[in-house]
Amino acid sequence: MTLNSGIPEGPLKEKWDNFKSNMKLVSPANKKKKKIIVVGTGLAGASAAATMGELGYNVDAFTILDSPRRSHSIAAQGGINAAKNYPYDGDSVWRLFYDTIKGGDYRSREANTYRLAQLSTNIIDQAVAQGVPFAREYGGDLANRSFGGAQVSRTFYAKGQTGQQLLLGAYSALMRQVDAKKAGGEGVPGVTMYTRREMLDLVLVDGVAKGIIVRNLITGDIERYAADAVLLCTGGYGRAYFLSTNAFNSNGTAAWRAHKRGAFFANPCYVQIHPTCIPASGNYQSKLTLMSESLRNDGRVWVPKSKEDAKAIREGKKTAADLKESDRDYYLERKYPSFGNLVPRDVASRNSKTMCDDDLGVNPTGRAVYLDFEREINAQGFNTIKDKYGNLFDMYKKIAGEDPYKTPMKIYPAVHYTMGGLWVDYSLMSNIPGLFVLGEANFSDHGANRLGASALMQGLADGYFVAPHTVGNYIATENPSQVDTSHPAFDAAENDTREYFQSIMDVGTKNEKNKHGRTVIDIYRELGHIMYDSVGVSRTKEGLEDALQKIPKLRESFWNDLKIPTETGKFSKYIEVAGRTADFLELSELMARDALEREESAGGHFREEHQTEDGEARRVDDKFSYVAAWEWKGRNEPHVLNKEELVFENVKLTQRSYK
Amino acid sequence: MANKNFKLEIWRQDGPNTEGKFETFNIEINEHASFLEMLDQLNEDIMNEGGRPVEFDSDCREGICGSCGCMVNGAAHGPERETAVCQLHMRTFQNGETITVEPFRAKAFPIVRDLVVDRNAFDRIQEKGGYISVNTGPKPDANAIKIGKQRADEAMDAATCIGCGACVAACPNASASLFVGARLKHFGLLPQGAPERGRRTLRMVEQMDDEGFGACSNIGECEAVCPKGISISAIGHMKRDYLFANLGFHK
Amino acid sequence: MSALKKMLFSSIGKKYIMAVSGLGLVGFLVTHLAANLLLLTGNPDLLNGYGAGLKSTLGPLFYPAEAALVGLFLVHIILAIYINVAGKKAARPIGYAKAQRGKGGESKFGLAGSNMLITGGLLAFFLVVHLWQVRYQVQFGSKFRTMLNGEQVGDLYRYCDEIFASPLMVVFYVGVMLFLGLHLRHGFWSAIQSLGAMKPEWSKSIHALGLIIAILFAVGFLIIPIWMHFGMAARLFQ
Repeated sequence: MTLNSGIPEGPLKEKWDNFKSNMKLVSPANKKKKKIIVVGTGLAGASAAATMGELGYNVDAFTILDSPRRSHSIAAQGGINAAKNYPYDGDSVWRLFYDTIKGGDYRSREANTYRLAQLSTNIIDQAVAQGVPFAREYGGDLANRSFGGAQVSRTFYAKGQTGQQLLLGAYSALMRQVDAKKAGGEGVPGVTMYTRREMLDLVLVDGVAKGIIVRNLITGDIERYAADAVLLCTGGYGRAYFLSTNAFNSNGTAAWRAHKRGAFFANPCYVQIHPTCIPASGNYQSKLTLMSESLRNDGRVWVPKSKEDAKAIREGKKTAADLKESDRDYYLERKYPSFGNLVPRDVASRNSKTMCDDDLGVNPTGRAVYLDFEREINAQGFNTIKDKYGNLFDMYKKIAGEDPYKTPMKIYPAVHYTMGGLWVDYSLMSNIPGLFVLGEANFSDHGANRLGASALMQGLADGYFVAPHTVGNYIATENPSQVDTSHPAFDAAENDTREYFQSIMDVGTKNEKNKHGRTVIDIYRELGHIMYDSVGVSRTKEGLEDALQKIPKLRESFWNDLKIPTETGKFSKYIEVAGRTADFLELSELMARDALEREESAGGHFREEHQTEDGEARRVDDKFSYVAAWEWKGRNEPHVLNKEELVFENVKLTQRSYK
Repeated sequence: MANKNFKLEIWRQDGPNTEGKFETFNIEINEHASFLEMLDQLNEDIMNEGGRPVEFDSDCREGICGSCGCMVNGAAHGPERETAVCQLHMRTFQNGETITVEPFRAKAFPIVRDLVVDRNAFDRIQEKGGYISVNTGPKPDANAIKIGKQRADEAMDAATCIGCGACVAACPNASASLFVGARLKHFGLLPQGAPERGRRTLRMVEQMDDEGFGACSNIGECEAVCPKGISISAIGHMKRDYLFANLGFHK
Repeated sequence: MSALKKMLFSSIGKKYIMAVSGLGLVGFLVTHLAANLLLLTGNPDLLNGYGAGLKSTLGPLFYPAEAALVGLFLVHIILAIYINVAGKKAARPIGYAKAQRGKGGESKFGLAGSNMLITGGLLAFFLVVHLWQVRYQVQFGSKFRTMLNGEQVGDLYRYCDEIFASPLMVVFYVGVMLFLGLHLRHGFWSAIQSLGAMKPEWSKSIHALGLIIAILFAVGFLIIPIWMHFGMAARLFQ
């Protein structure tokens, strides 16, 4: 099957304008008759739902959480990029575009990435108008800081809680539309909010997305909703690794169920491992906590030069303070003189792993490096550092029990973001007409690696500025026929959902009777180990083949040994987790397969067989300059690979170098 | 890496309209585990014995989403200050200690199951004006609005609320004043929020009362349990703005 | 509902009323304490004269003024019961099994802050006793009358002198004044906060001022029964 990316004609800089000039509009009278479903209310979902409501559509928004304000976008700390060039340090839309596409190791679409850079400035204006309290200078101007992978200061921030403030901005816009809908009633545009609902299936009528099946997490009821277009804004699939910086409820289920209905899954192997997280301390660990990358602006990464010193530190016989400057290896500054501690995330992560593999790790598990603020505290003063990172330092102290003002932090990489996701065209529509995918859930803008402070940018660009236009264009162009939930396709989809759900419950019931089995967390945790070992920071052919043996076996174990509460009519967290784990057990296999077939290194996907003499990622552009869009063929059939060739007309592909 | 033993008294309630009671459990866990990881472990033990796990809400587990929250030994989010219960660690407790765990209690927060409560009342308050009425679209350049650092920081300090509901849980009157005050202060301090300042205040306060939250007695325990340490000066702000809105000084 | 009514009946409005009535009562206490301190002089004419003077100065306004004062008390008391008993129960129908623990810091959770209803309730009870004593017995009874400047007036001084001869009464009055102190300790600061008149930077100072006011009133009032019981005026001035 050929994939049409639908990129508009014209020079790169004019494509988005050309699209908007040529798109068709829905008349205001018609808009309120059109129903839009938005699944997920993070940055992408909340901003899309709010904007579509403002434009006059009737929107149904769904979240698995008890409030849209809790979506995991809220946890983004460091900031949001925008090519405002306020510091006058030479930034521009082009430079942001170039940094993003280069940072993504030339595996993203030029047109999408350029549009993202273009829209970045609008996001800041929009957020400020909404009352997002970004950090300011004394004179009243917005403050900026620099971030990994960039040589300019273009990151806007609100303490270490930028994601929270941007999400609350989008959430408040969303709530305004909920208010409008409640005040207006039937037939009046706005948003109807459905909380604690989990999407379990996508409903297609003649191959076109027409609705969703959800489970009410409070009552256990299966419910159906119809619409003219469905927007998936459900985030990434990083929880396939069990331990990650993602939230406990983050999952890949909505995207995966849509995939099983025909939506292609693109580049699943592109996973970002964030370099600055608090290391795991034991097997009870339920998640990893990220420390904002902004810490690398003033923090210096190091390990002891000698293995003896590292061993002494691990055993508690020495501390960081015992090591003289000359005994420390500031390896990022040494290896990458021009970017130093600000190299992109994948480079920083891989180097941490290499150092620890060489027995230079500094915590009892041997899996940690230092992030040291001593020099900058002395240079800039305690208060300046406290002002910049106070809440991050407090958070570290709370979790690790050590004071980073006095002793260096210990950090280690953790799975953080997934660049892969459902395939979409320039309009953010998947290969299923009427199914749009926004934010982290799609694959489109970051290529093989995402630059810091770009996730917030993408979620909001998609939700505020792209989808409201492209969805309208779809509706105006295709004029999709309206169906309601009494259509037989809904009966069929609901039946499928019930049967699948029941098949999981049946395993639980059987094992309950036989007093046999293992808990869903036990299975899930094992999946995480397999994924970290073989589909993690660096990957090998052998490791991936091994994972492809182990995952199906583990999946078999799930379908035989699963032990869960079987009372389905009530709120039950482990029933939710079981469904999500079942999906991850399928998705993770595809991740390993994609990683195996991509015989090159690119961004977050590092194949040990493909590296330069310096240990850097080596792409194989003549063979792999494509998007791998995987097609589901059935439960017992292998996926089929479809390719979208990436065309670069504006940037020259070079070997990334941050030296 | 020492393990510790605890006796847990946990509130169990099957549904919103059923009777609840305390159930006792014993657990041994590493002291560096978080409180919720301890509950995770407890649930593993319970499920391995074929029992019904303890339901509790949690999501980000880094103190920012506001999903988690329960009363631990009579204190919302447990004994540590500026800490959500997901960031509370077992090293805080003595070996052998008995720990009582109860859900947040308020009429406006009905219990869903065990420690899970329904906090949608907060969303309904937010709907009544917890926003600045601007549509998406072209806006003046962000730097066209100058806001001094001190004012921006104060607005940020109020905006940092995570909506966990601990303020309500800890308040002797189950008042939501800190939550509502923080929202009003954030928008009220910013020039962008000025045009609808009075209307916002009146509508949000009315909704707060309609939800069945109590009146504020200026105890300030809300500030003490707030994971973000939001000051009750936000409540003062709300009371002032409510008066001004009623007197017509704020439109 | 009119806007004003709506405001006054809201949770915040009720606290405005509590605050205004509370501050009004503090104002009353100022005059009351000033007058009562005349007892310390040992000269009966001063206080008796003040009482009579008040009545003649206010003239026909005396009873309306007294009624307003009673009204102030009643509003404060009834609203307090409404907010703290009915309101509390409505907002949290099921309480906590484990007693709540304060987390400290700026929190006023503690002796004064958490027991306003108890301290206030005791003060209300005292008020009834006190009114029966000094208002009913002295003003309407025939036992405590005296002549001042040719007119018959209530002999407040002698009445106080008699009741404070009883150690039990002294203990009762002193105890109640300690509760008054506790009540004012939280009440004064709380009233300012309730009215939204608190500048955040002043919060600590106003809380401290509340302590000073509480001590001044408690000590000012409780010193009187002790003073009179031990006949201090006679010992010092004569």
